[in-house]
Amino acid sequence: MTRVLDQTVEPVGRNRSRVGRIASALPIGVRGIRTSTAALPTGLSVLGFLVLISLTSALWTPYSPTATGTGPVSAAPTGAHWFGTDSVGSDVFSRTVAAGRTDVLYTLTVVAIALLVGSVWGAIVGYFGGWLEWATLRLLEVVQAFPALLMVLFIISIVGPGTINVILVAAIIPLPDFVRLARAEVLTKKNWQFAEAARMVGNRPMVVLFKHLMPNSLRPLLAYASISAAWVVGSIAALGYIGLGIQPDAVEWGSMIARGQSDVMAGDWWESFFPGIGILLLAIGFQLVGDGLSSHRGEER
Amino acid sequence: MAVETTGLLSLRGFAVPGFVRQVRRRLAGAFLVVFGVVTLTFLFTRVFAADPTTLLAPPNATAAERAAVRSRLGLGDPLPVQYFHYLGDLLHGNLGTSYLTGRPVTSDLLERLPATAELATYALILGILGGVTAGVLAAVFEGSIFDRMLRVVTSAGLALPQFWVALMLLWFFFVKFGLLPGPTGRLPIGMAPPPTVTGFYLIDSVVTGHLSDFGPALAQLCLPVLTLSSGVWAPLARGARSAMVLALKSDYVRTARALGLSRRRIWFVYALRNALLPVITMLAGAVAWAFSGSVLVEGAFGWPGVGHYALSALEGSDFPAVEGFVLYASILYVIVYQLLDLAYYLADPRIRS
Repeated sequence: MTRVLDQTVEPVGRNRSRVGRIASALPIGVRGIRTSTAALPTGLSVLGFLVLISLTSALWTPYSPTATGTGPVSAAPTGAHWFGTDSVGSDVFSRTVAAGRTDVLYTLTVVAIALLVGSVWGAIVGYFGGWLEWATLRLLEVVQAFPALLMVLFIISIVGPGTINVILVAAIIPLPDFVRLARAEVLTKKNWQFAEAARMVGNRPMVVLFKHLMPNSLRPLLAYASISAAWVVGSIAALGYIGLGIQPDAVEWGSMIARGQSDVMAGDWWESFFPGIGILLLAIGFQLVGDGLSSHRGEER
Repeated sequence: MAVETTGLLSLRGFAVPGFVRQVRRRLAGAFLVVFGVVTLTFLFTRVFAADPTTLLAPPNATAAERAAVRSRLGLGDPLPVQYFHYLGDLLHGNLGTSYLTGRPVTSDLLERLPATAELATYALILGILGGVTAGVLAAVFEGSIFDRMLRVVTSAGLALPQFWVALMLLWFFFVKFGLLPGPTGRLPIGMAPPPTVTGFYLIDSVVTGHLSDFGPALAQLCLPVLTLSSGVWAPLARGARSAMVLALKSDYVRTARALGLSRRRIWFVYALRNALLPVITMLAGAVAWAFSGSVLVEGAFGWPGVGHYALSALEGSDFPAVEGFVLYASILYVIVYQLLDLAYYLADPRIRS
């Protein structure tokens, strides 16, 4: 009895991945939590607000984000410059909102790639098993033994900077967790009656997998996508901060923080403060949506 | 073999051979992963990396001079040969020579490890105590103001980029109010460290009687420890909270309550012990992460640890150093993970079947 129980619990409870452990703890943890139902709407409105600002910034910002000398140099926030100006007189508000566009876009692309590739890969190895599954799991173990951020920096320093490289390399980090999650989802569901029925009427394996099984796993995958997005926001910013991959003078939150660093040490806090708040809001938004999606799932059960 | 000793040697009710088998299985697993890590690192640096001769040879070097550099580095050999040399070197603890410092990477890392270890130890203690306490209290008072506040604070804690936290803390405590010292590393500039006993300045200054070092070293530690622990306590608080909530809703807690045991006894004796088990596994990531020296936190505070070393190596394209650090960090992760998994195995009778 306990034996059977342990075996079904094992892939979840003793997951090897760092983030995966948190994610896989969710369905268990959440079951007991009286979750605030406000998480999902709050998260969605935070994200909606940021996306709206980003879209607006593409059409209009008070000053050009790249223009210098829009006002006095290194001025504290005023009515004319809401977030102040930096050491070359650029408007920090315009730069912050324009940078948000970069970060939102990068994050969504990275997560979309990881989600798509990871869940297809995980679903296939989960459904068919065999040596491919074994090799996948071993590979994931190896990849996840590397310190995440450092691996990104390491690979970027080798393959060179550039938008495409940064996006592809950053997608490697959340990828293993999507593979594991999709695999676990398919493993638990592939022998359920509806899957059996779908096979029985003569559907081919791929059809059963992607038309009947995967749609049932969409919610946990999306919940995890949102949670990992919060992590991706931070690593994109970290890449910009270090100046590897994303150009140091790019209009991006991490790069802005790095550029303002010496000014902050001279007392001008605003140049680095506001981009940080941007990162914080975006990450919290994703986190809340992820929490909301996964706890909603818990309530259904 | 397993059968012979069963029952003769048993520790807290389970057969030692089972434990030995566990250890052996884990060692084999860990070995495979480490081997994979080593191979992948090798492939990355030797196959995809830029030609190091552009760094080591003068810009106007002739092709012959470049070839000389290549053969000196052993890069002229075919890949499989290089790979075997590489494995052999690793087995001797030789991680290669840093391009930047010109010294063996192993000794560079060992020299910087105490700084990282001191920072990591205090940050972990603070993070684990704070995180677990907050999480457990939030679960006990589930739905209270404290619980809700904690939810918001941990969300922020998970989302905050640490390089930004470091910068803002520095602005507030150093630039604005001058309460704490600036990012000058482990001691103010010009101050001599205490004689080395453990490599931890706080402990060494007390043990060797250099008490004048204690205060400044402590002041230097405050902000980096605070920053680093923010990355530890937020996920732990969440994990501890959900584990504790689950434990409090369990059948055994209900039974204990029905038997009329005091609430305090139920919370801290029955529920807590079970709730802490899943937290053990979460610790692996935190411990390994802290000891591999958060690259960005050490960078921001000028902390002379291994993370700082890795950062300057990355910026200077010093591949042997980066490679050495990546190997160190991932092997550390594998070891810590396996050890904690084993601790979990020992602590939880349910998974010893």
